[in-house]
Amino acid sequence: MLDTIVKLLKESGVHAWELNDVKTEGWEFYFIRHELDQNRAKHVEHISVKVYQLIDDGKFMGSASAELPPTATEDEARRLIGDLAYRATLVKNRPYPLNPLTEAHRETLHSAPVDVSGIARAFLETMQQLPETATEDINSYEIFVNAKTRRFLNSEGIDVEEIYPDSMIEVVVNARRDGHEIELYRNYQSGSCDAVGLKRDLARTMQYGKDRLHTAPTPALGQADVLFTTSDATRIYDYFVDRLSAQMVYLRMSDWQLGKPIADEIKGDKVSVTLVRELENSSMNRAFDAEGAPIHDTVILRAGVPEKYCGSRMFASYLGLEDSFIPSNVLVEGGTHSEQELRAGKYLEVVEFSDFQVDPMTGDIFGEIRLAYWHDGERTVPVSGGSVSGSMHDFVKDMLLSEESVQYNNYRIPALTLLKNVTVTGAES
Amino acid sequence: MKAPFSPYLSGIKAGLQELIRILRREYDYVSILATDSRGLAVRISQHARSVASETMTTERGVVVRVYKNGQYSEYALNEFDPGQVEETADQILTALRKQQSILDATGSKVYNTAMLRDEPVTLFVEKETEQLPETTDVRKLVEKLGALSDAGMAMSEHMIECMANAQSTHICKMFLTEHRDMCQSYVYSEGTAVAVVSRDGRNQIGYEGVSGLCGPELFDQLQDKMTKSVAMAVELLDAGRIEPGEYEIIASPEVTGLIAHEAFGHGVEMDMFVKNRALGKEYVDRRVGSDLVTMHEGALCTDNVTSYAFDDEGTLAGDVVEIDHGILKTGICDALAALRLGTEPTGNGKRENFEHKAYTRMTNTIFDSGDSTLEEMIASIRHGYLLEGMESGMEDPKHWGIQCIIKMGREIKDGRLTGKIVAPIIMTGYVPDLLGNISMLSGDREIFGTGGCGKGYKEWVKVTDGGPYLKTKARLG
Repeated sequence: MLDTIVKLLKESGVHAWELNDVKTEGWEFYFIRHELDQNRAKHVEHISVKVYQLIDDGKFMGSASAELPPTATEDEARRLIGDLAYRATLVKNRPYPLNPLTEAHRETLHSAPVDVSGIARAFLETMQQLPETATEDINSYEIFVNAKTRRFLNSEGIDVEEIYPDSMIEVVVNARRDGHEIELYRNYQSGSCDAVGLKRDLARTMQYGKDRLHTAPTPALGQADVLFTTSDATRIYDYFVDRLSAQMVYLRMSDWQLGKPIADEIKGDKVSVTLVRELENSSMNRAFDAEGAPIHDTVILRAGVPEKYCGSRMFASYLGLEDSFIPSNVLVEGGTHSEQELRAGKYLEVVEFSDFQVDPMTGDIFGEIRLAYWHDGERTVPVSGGSVSGSMHDFVKDMLLSEESVQYNNYRIPALTLLKNVTVTGAES
Repeated sequence: MKAPFSPYLSGIKAGLQELIRILRREYDYVSILATDSRGLAVRISQHARSVASETMTTERGVVVRVYKNGQYSEYALNEFDPGQVEETADQILTALRKQQSILDATGSKVYNTAMLRDEPVTLFVEKETEQLPETTDVRKLVEKLGALSDAGMAMSEHMIECMANAQSTHICKMFLTEHRDMCQSYVYSEGTAVAVVSRDGRNQIGYEGVSGLCGPELFDQLQDKMTKSVAMAVELLDAGRIEPGEYEIIASPEVTGLIAHEAFGHGVEMDMFVKNRALGKEYVDRRVGSDLVTMHEGALCTDNVTSYAFDDEGTLAGDVVEIDHGILKTGICDALAALRLGTEPTGNGKRENFEHKAYTRMTNTIFDSGDSTLEEMIASIRHGYLLEGMESGMEDPKHWGIQCIIKMGREIKDGRLTGKIVAPIIMTGYVPDLLGNISMLSGDREIFGTGGCGKGYKEWVKVTDGGPYLKTKARLG
């Protein structure tokens, strides 16, 4: 079917076109406690087509997109492409060129077959080997293992194919004490099964569960230093990536300028961010983005100074950027502080939020605290309730980062991130 | 006009029924959900404009559910060929046998479950719509949204971007078993008006939405929403920070809906009862809210984006009274959870799409109205806030904690709005306290259906929620 669609696109007379074809072989296992709730398998193909038309003698360019069912007949595909060709003439954007064919597209790509059953078995066995106790155990889990084959073609001559694994496991951990039970939720994404990392993190999660049953109300601290030591910190670093996205800059939703520090008088660690093509076992390891742009290691923020914007072809082109791409893996350099230094003095270490959020446009952060440790300089007390809030616009001036790094799927970031003077609403009345 | 049922699905029905007959040789129960939902999405802003045929719920595919020896398994595919049914059956059997060999090799036990009943049902539903997304005049819609975006930009000197978005989906689903033949076709639409303002380096966003069980004709209502959206964004530029603490609050209908969804929507999804993940299981027939609180849930509660005739497991849609005058009466339930709990399904078994598992999911979750007026409610507050606009929410059914991110609060002092605005607001609390303190409800109500709902951080489905203005107490930060 793909060859037919490509033939029809070439015959359609449209100005330009892109095609993404993703085939997925997926295995899924759902467990309640350690009993199988359901097993699922899938074999699907999704073909997405986008066509471009020049309007008003090339003054504008429009686009329209659709998914073409793999079961479509040639007549149905021709009609759908015809509809797209017409619809693309209805919307007027500034013209821009699609990603061109380059030497990078001739590289050897990931092409080894993915062993779905082997990865699935590794997950199943790992979940049977966790250090569960009578008071901390696994409530339920869902395992997803996919082998994806992605082919991208466009009218500029790009035709590349990658094969990669894409896995996810969702785990709910219970802890109980004196008839009271709580739960903690985890969602791990990766390429294949990272058995060691999974066991380590779930053991830590069970400890958090145990501690959450012994919490005091979070004190009304007013302003406090807050330490992030879990995957929630990736949201903080998303702020930096988003503020340097070509789209946000072009739309004036970010005022960060190349060569100009992101804040005056940065007293803390100056953040450096690199977009990278490969991180070990990341589910996002790709040679090309969704528009066929080659992904290569690119520093976007060096020591608190923007070095490059990055993003989709449309907005990158509007900003005059060459060799831009849609980010996949993010590497944040470690800071200048040891863990011991960051853990000195008074601070609130939040390890469980209801839902920690960072708004890239306003810079606002917020999250309800489900479990934190209040370190008052002498003692450490587990606390819960209340919330943290504030603005990244302020925090970037004095945030501190650990030298050590940690990886959460497609992010490698400092293991500890300290934000200063965060507003902490307590749970105490 | 009637939204016509998919010719594609009609064309493969006989083949799918043959597939069921073949798989029944191996399995005790076989069901098939086949989908063919098409859509239109137009997004117009000052800087980027696009037309697409994909929405959150467009799909075409088939999912087969089989049962044997207490175990349920599923196989999803989207290249079903009615001329090669035997081959498809082999493909399914081979894949599920491979999975079984891994399960056996790892000693995985099965959560032994009874077999679904397969009483005969024949249903063919085509709901009313004025227009269809696949045949509507896209040029006119693009022009309409473009004019709206331009008009929004002219409403304030602080505007830097203005988006008018419209999407419409024609849902067609077919559920088949040995004894069931159920087909449904309906159209729902949703639109948003988004205003982005900037002043002195500070950005703010205002947005408003419309939704309904109808076609693209809905988008005529976006004009009024754009005016409100711009007004909200501009007001937010002058917003201050709230002094954290517990306040008397009035939740606007949108925030009321968020509370309904997070507090007792997720909290009574009964697949969570099976896993012992919801405190609600222990509170059936007990008080969870004030006497004013009555809450409905179900696809039949209202006509909006998730008002289907049957769910993704072939259960007819329902209207469940979850909370009756403050007393928790029941939850909502998918078919397998119902078997495991020894109860009846409520028509809430939903999938993100044919590739995904069915879970117990919300449809329309709505607080009943009361008999107060908003003016009376404001007059009754000494110091508090009228909360407007929702950003997001997160539940904790095991602990009955709730977190709602709210766009803004209007200060009320001595029974009057002071004109002071605070933003953003994080509202947290313990659900029984929040509902137990509800002391007034307005006589009107609104329903909102432009958002999506996840289970954990995945499995996105369309839902609506809403209700009247309600007065209660909450912790704000």
